[in-house]
Amino acid sequence: MVSQLPTKPGQAEQADDRSPGPRRNRAKELALAPIAGLLILAVLARPQLVSLLDRPAVANWATVFVAVTVQALPFLVLGVSVSACIAAFVSPATLSRVFPDRPVYAVPVAAVAGAALPGCECGSVPIARRLMSRGVTPAAALTFLLSAPAINPVVMVATAVAFPGQPEMVAARFLASLIAAVTVGLAWTVIGRGDLLALATRPTPPSDRRPIEVFRQTAQHDFLSAGGYLVIGAAAAASLQTAVPRSVVDAFAESPVLSVLALAVLAVVLALCSEADAFVAAGLKQFSLTARLAFLVVGPMVDVKLIALQAGTFGRAFTLRFAPLTFVCALGSASLIGWWLL
Amino acid sequence: MTPLVGGTTLLLVGAMLIRLTVTDAYQRYVRAGMGPWLLIAGVLLAALGAVAVLTALRAGNEDPAENERHEGHGHDEDHEHGDGVGWLLLVPVLALLLVVPPALGSFGVDRSRVTAGGGDVFDPLPAATEPREMTLLEFDQRAFDRKGHSMRGAELRLTGFVARPADGNGFRLARYQIACCAADAVAAVARVSGATGAAPTRDAWFTVTGTFRGIGADGVPEFAASAVQQLPAPVDPYE
Repeated sequence: MVSQLPTKPGQAEQADDRSPGPRRNRAKELALAPIAGLLILAVLARPQLVSLLDRPAVANWATVFVAVTVQALPFLVLGVSVSACIAAFVSPATLSRVFPDRPVYAVPVAAVAGAALPGCECGSVPIARRLMSRGVTPAAALTFLLSAPAINPVVMVATAVAFPGQPEMVAARFLASLIAAVTVGLAWTVIGRGDLLALATRPTPPSDRRPIEVFRQTAQHDFLSAGGYLVIGAAAAASLQTAVPRSVVDAFAESPVLSVLALAVLAVVLALCSEADAFVAAGLKQFSLTARLAFLVVGPMVDVKLIALQAGTFGRAFTLRFAPLTFVCALGSASLIGWWLL
Repeated sequence: MTPLVGGTTLLLVGAMLIRLTVTDAYQRYVRAGMGPWLLIAGVLLAALGAVAVLTALRAGNEDPAENERHEGHGHDEDHEHGDGVGWLLLVPVLALLLVVPPALGSFGVDRSRVTAGGGDVFDPLPAATEPREMTLLEFDQRAFDRKGHSMRGAELRLTGFVARPADGNGFRLARYQIACCAADAVAAVARVSGATGAAPTRDAWFTVTGTFRGIGADGVPEFAASAVQQLPAPVDPYE
């Protein structure tokens, strides 16, 4: 198969023709019925739901599920606001001045630009998609997606606080994450296929709506779609945290090679916020520093919550290739830097 | 999702965040410092949702053609990148409205227990006439630093919940520390012995006063209690 990236977005696919057809006015009136129905059903089932929480495992699941969702929502709001601002107020011309057209230059620029967005990984997904639809090279947008949650100042400070007296850990995390993000971006220019990102790179049609209306509608749409997938990811993380016993993880701690792999997999499974993962890594003392570095480099780039978000935002076919590629690059980069610095 | 349903969902999620912050219940799930951010996010979402609902209603009443156009747009976007999954946001909303999951309890203590100190070296505690309040985390860290050398003989006061009602010749007290949210909780534990009175129930909260008494064979620091007092669960259950 010929791999080719659309250098100009919109080349990939034409919009399907609009065929709204005759609308049933009834449907509009009934639109709120499912929400009302769901509310009534939930109220009726309340005693059963409450008695479920008497089981400690269910209560633990529910607490972690709500915690992951609630904790991510402010960051998602931040990301969606930035994304909607780009859609409403930043012209593609401005963006093309910031991000060079040639991926070879655009990718490193995007990696460093990631340092400017304080937040965790949930916020960068809608922003990356918006950058693509505004004409930024997909490889560069993907690099930004990976580097922003990993190397921003908030995360670096959290890492320094979690590893007191070990500044080499902060340096190693910064370097390894930067290298991993750039490697994935450059790899995508070579092996990535434009059709996988056809939906995200399709340019937003010019609109006659006022910018503030564009902002409102983009923000609403992006929040609902990313928020829905966040809920799926939070449920997955809560299930794995409740079901996988710690002893399974500890069993891998002894072998140097297996321990790196085990913590990389644990990072995917736990789906921690990139601003908190350093504190958890600091507590995993039975593992080597390199293994813990792998945990910190992989976590912000690949985890179950992110996989759900990315699949929802960019499509399943894309995520099926992108997540493993990112995992391998992050793991390799962390092992290399850990061997050199730690 | 139609603009009306989408707007209603945003409004509900925003209302949930505002309610969580106003009632302080958010501290069961995330770090106490997150409160202002949750409130800001909640207000923004609720405002966005309210404007969306009003716009949709007004468009529906006054200008059906306009509404049609917007809905056509929404329909188109559903094809490329659906927000139908936004329905799922109602799951945490309902969970919080109806059942309110509790703070983390004894269930996860064993899988997230601190098993070694932070490698910190502590100076001996100064002499004091009053018992010294100490977090369970600091107690564990001091215990693992040169076998508790820095707090030998000092009278301490620890607060936590019962992780195991019967543990050796006492019960196991635990408390979580969280960095960001309950998903990253780490538990510190101590075995409290010497308590008299009724056997403690699982997940009940206690303040215990006493002294450090070495580390047990299973790696759990031992605490010899002179006074044990039950108390209601604190608003911020984490250290």
